[in-house]
Amino acid sequence: MCWGQTGIFTFGQAALFGLGGYVVALVTTKSSITDMGILLLIAIVAGALAGFIIGIFLFSGKRVGELYVALVTLAISYICERLANSWTVLGSGNGIPGIPYPTIFGHELGSAMSLFFLAFIAFAIALILCILIVNSQFGLTMNAVRDDEERAEFFGYNRSVVQIFVFVFSAALASSAGALFAVSEGFVSPSMSGLALSTTSVLWVVLGGRGTFFGPLIALTVLQVVNIKMQNALPSLWPILVGFLLLLTMIFLPKGLTSLPARIRESRRKASQG
Amino acid sequence: MKLLEVNSVTKTFGSLVAVDNASMFIEQNEIVGLIGPNGSGKSTLLHTICGRTFATAGTIQLQGADITNKTPQIRAKAGMAIKFQLARIYLEKTVRENLLISLQAKQSILSQLRSASLKKHEVKILELAKEFQLEEYLNEPAKSLSHGQQQWLEIAMAMAVDPILLLLDEPTAGMSPKERADTAVLIKKASKKCGVLIVEHDLDFIKELCNRISVLHHGNIVATGTPAQIENDPKVKEVYLTRV
Repeated sequence: MCWGQTGIFTFGQAALFGLGGYVVALVTTKSSITDMGILLLIAIVAGALAGFIIGIFLFSGKRVGELYVALVTLAISYICERLANSWTVLGSGNGIPGIPYPTIFGHELGSAMSLFFLAFIAFAIALILCILIVNSQFGLTMNAVRDDEERAEFFGYNRSVVQIFVFVFSAALASSAGALFAVSEGFVSPSMSGLALSTTSVLWVVLGGRGTFFGPLIALTVLQVVNIKMQNALPSLWPILVGFLLLLTMIFLPKGLTSLPARIRESRRKASQG
Repeated sequence: MKLLEVNSVTKTFGSLVAVDNASMFIEQNEIVGLIGPNGSGKSTLLHTICGRTFATAGTIQLQGADITNKTPQIRAKAGMAIKFQLARIYLEKTVRENLLISLQAKQSILSQLRSASLKKHEVKILELAKEFQLEEYLNEPAKSLSHGQQQWLEIAMAMAVDPILLLLDEPTAGMSPKERADTAVLIKKASKKCGVLIVEHDLDFIKELCNRISVLHHGNIVATGTPAQIENDPKVKEVYLTRV
C-alpha cells in the first residue's frame, strides 16, 4: 500500500510492527485483558496514532523525496530498536516474556493451530481490505500521487492527506500484525522493531514486485523456506547471495520477480513479430 | 469583477528578475494570449499564476479572491486548471483512468473509498472522450497515444472539472497543422465555458484565437491589445517578431 501503490518508500514498518507487539505485551502482562478483539483494537489505535504523528511530520507541508522518507523512517526504526533495548519498562535487551494466550469470547487460543488460524483470518481480512481499497476510486488517487504528486496537486488533490491516510492505514496494519506476533510467540524482543526486519520487509517487496499483493507474499514464503535451508548449508555466503539477488532484481526486473513471466511473454511476442 | 487579475507581479530568483512588475487581466469567456521570445519570462509568469512558484511581489486575484500565496491545490479548488507545456498525464494509466483521476480530485477520501461517483463520472468521461476525439482509445494506456492526442487528453483532463480559468502552456507544441487546427476549435469551445490564458511563442496560432494578446519581453509586459494592434505595434515588432 505504501510503496507499491502510493510511492511512500518506508523503512518504518518494523517499528510499527514492534509497537503493536510491545503494546500488547504491556497490556497483557500488566492487566488481565487477554481478549484478542480488544488487544487488536488497542494495537490498531496505537499504530494508527503513531502513523499519524510520523505522517504529519513527513508529509504535511512541502513535498519530500522518496529518499528523505526512507532515511527518516530508517532512523525511526533504529531509534525504536535502541529504545526497546535500553528502556527497562520494555524489558531492555531481554524483551517482555510471559505474554498469555489470547482469548476470543472467553475461549483461550492455546494451541499452535488455533493461533495459526487467528493469524490467517486476520491476514485474509487485511488482504481483502487492501484489495478493496486498491480497486476503489481511492486506488487511482494513490497511484496518481505515486506517479506525479505535483500533477495531482494541480488537479486539486490534497497530496498530504492522501499520503498521511495511507501511512496511517499501513501503520495500523503493521501494528496489528505485531500484536498477533506477540500473542503467538508469547514474547517480544527489541529485534522485532529494528533495522533488520525493516530491511527484510522491503526486500520482500523488491523481490516480489511493488504494487502487487501476492508478489511480496510469494517472495516472503520462498525466501523464508530457502533461508532456513541455506543458513545451515552456506551460513556466511547466503546473506551475500540474497544481496546479489536483490541487486540483480532491482537492475533487471524493477517490477520484481513476479513480473518475469510477463517479461518472457513480451520478449517472445516481440521475437515472433520480427 | 475580472476573472483573473495579475497586479504588478514580480518574480526574482536571487539577483535574476524573471518577471518585472507585470500586470494583466482576463475577463469571463475571454481568450488571452501571452507571447514573448524564449527567456522572456512567460513560463515564470504562468507558474506564479498557477501556483507552481510564488510571486516575490504583487498580487494575483481569481474572481476577486487573493490567491497570490495559495497552493496549487487551493487554486484548483477555486476553479483553475492547467495544461503543461510537456503533457503531464499518467502514461501507464488508460485514457479513462486519466480522465477519472481529474474528475474525482475534489471528492473526499470516504467517497472515493466507496467508489460512490463512478457512474456519474462515466457519463462525463464519455462526453469528454467524444469531444476530444479520444473515444476509441478509452481503454488504451495513455502512453500509446500520439503526441497530439496526449496534449488533447491533458486539455480534456483540465476541462473535466469545469474550470473557470484554463491555463494552456504551448498547447500546440509539436502538433501537425491538422492537429493545431483541431486544437484551436477545442480551445474556442472551451472559452464558452471559462476564461482561457494561452502561453505561446507562435503568434500565427494565437492571433486567430485570442481576444487580446500581451507581449512579454525581459519580464516586462511591453504591449497589450487585440491581435491586429499587436501585429502592428512597432515595439512588438522590434522586441519579438524580429527574433522569431
